Amino acid sequence: MDFMMHLEQQQQLEPTQAPVERHSHNHWNPYVDNGGTSLIIAGKDFVLVASDARQSVGYNINTRYDPKAFELSNKTVLATSVCSADAKRLCEVLEQRAQVYYHKHERQIGTRALAQQLSNTLYSRRMFPYYVFPLLGGIDAEGKGAAYAYDAIGNMERVTYKAFGSAAALVQPFLDSQVGMNNQRGAEGERLLSREEALRIAIDSFTSATERDIYTGDWLDIFIIDAAGVHKETRELKHD
Amino acid sequence: MFLTRSEYDRGVNTFSPEGRLFQVEYAIEAIKLGTTAIGIRTSEGVVLAVEKRITSPLLVADSIEKILEIDQHVACAMSGLTADSRTMIEHARVEALNHTFAYEEPIPIESVTQSVCDLALRFGEGADGQESNMSRPFGVALLIAGVDERGPQLYHTDPSGTFLHYEAKAIGAGSEGAQTGLQEQYHRDITLVDAEVLALKVLKQVMEEKLSNTNVQLAKVTKESGYQIYSRDELQTVISRM
Repeated sequence: MDFMMHLEQQQQLEPTQAPVERHSHNHWNPYVDNGGTSLIIAGKDFVLVASDARQSVGYNINTRYDPKAFELSNKTVLATSVCSADAKRLCEVLEQRAQVYYHKHERQIGTRALAQQLSNTLYSRRMFPYYVFPLLGGIDAEGKGAAYAYDAIGNMERVTYKAFGSAAALVQPFLDSQVGMNNQRGAEGERLLSREEALRIAIDSFTSATERDIYTGDWLDIFIIDAAGVHKETRELKHD
Repeated sequence: MFLTRSEYDRGVNTFSPEGRLFQVEYAIEAIKLGTTAIGIRTSEGVVLAVEKRITSPLLVADSIEKILEIDQHVACAMSGLTADSRTMIEHARVEALNHTFAYEEPIPIESVTQSVCDLALRFGEGADGQESNMSRPFGVALLIAGVDERGPQLYHTDPSGTFLHYEAKAIGAGSEGAQTGLQEQYHRDITLVDAEVLALKVLKQVMEEKLSNTNVQLAKVTKESGYQIYSRDELQTVISRM
């Protein structure tokens, strides 16, 4: 009882304070969304990787040519989306790890090994992730086109096609229909596209996405990776 | 012998004026006291054979293990102070598992060998407060056998941290005689089945005791099944083919 009274007294002694806003409304946010879209399509003996090059924040376009698909030394291509700075850093880290592997084991790191390494790299930042949704394309040990898709914390999936980024909601359903052949009567499931088809579908995806998504446009980098190496071409998209 | 090596054989980190590290050389000598171990590479896989010294009839022969698995596709045979190999094999196993974790692929045989050799030279005082694992060089040599995408391979490591790639190699007390035997009888297109017999034949030549299915160990590493150690019955069938 004594104790309770003591407690009450102590509470009364505390001066009354008006509520104070300790934080401003704008919490500091380390993450930036720079928009942009990336796409990957795996074929029988090739893989196509495509990314647009517009880099924006809100209604501003920072630059019309900021590539976000990167060719790595082991003939794979890493396509990214969302935060441009994180994407560049992630690409550097991955390239360094590919180089370390090369010197340590006296051979080029394989697509599968690099894919696993990328997953581990992303997961190692589980509590402060890279704000990047990577797509990795290369040729696997059997010579087949290999495409890997990740979320920001390293969940990895080998896919035949995937779109990530600001226009993913526009492009993915198109790919589901044209490559995945989803929900179509008489269709015999997923298709393995020829190079020409893959290229046509990739270009169509981006021209259409550019029409509807303000964050996608300007330029399109297309990489086709096969046993011979990586071929890159840059095409124009609408600049509006 | 000790006159010429005066004083310079005391420290593990002191070169003699002739540029030699005597403790490392002595460690290599220690291997020549060990039991004989043989490795033979074939195009189908690698065979490892070791001698076990059964010093007493009361000794449980199976308790002597001189061929150990590092990973599914790598194994090693040892000679010398076999207790020292525990540290090295532990290290090799960790390296192999780490590689599989990082890259989802088996570690290359040369890389696992290199990692063991990196450890071999970490003796003496630790530099700048760094911890050193061993106060002296390891007194053990390893024959590392494995199969990767470069095919079956056999490596020999010694206490100096040097590793060499061999077609066939013998280490331990009987290594001189055994190596001569291997040089005479090994040929590049030897089959795995013939290599099993050759390994035991050469081992038999240098062993003091009569070779039996209890005083030798035989193992193979193949592309199809990885590391496999022979049971006594399997060993007996190889012995009967000799």
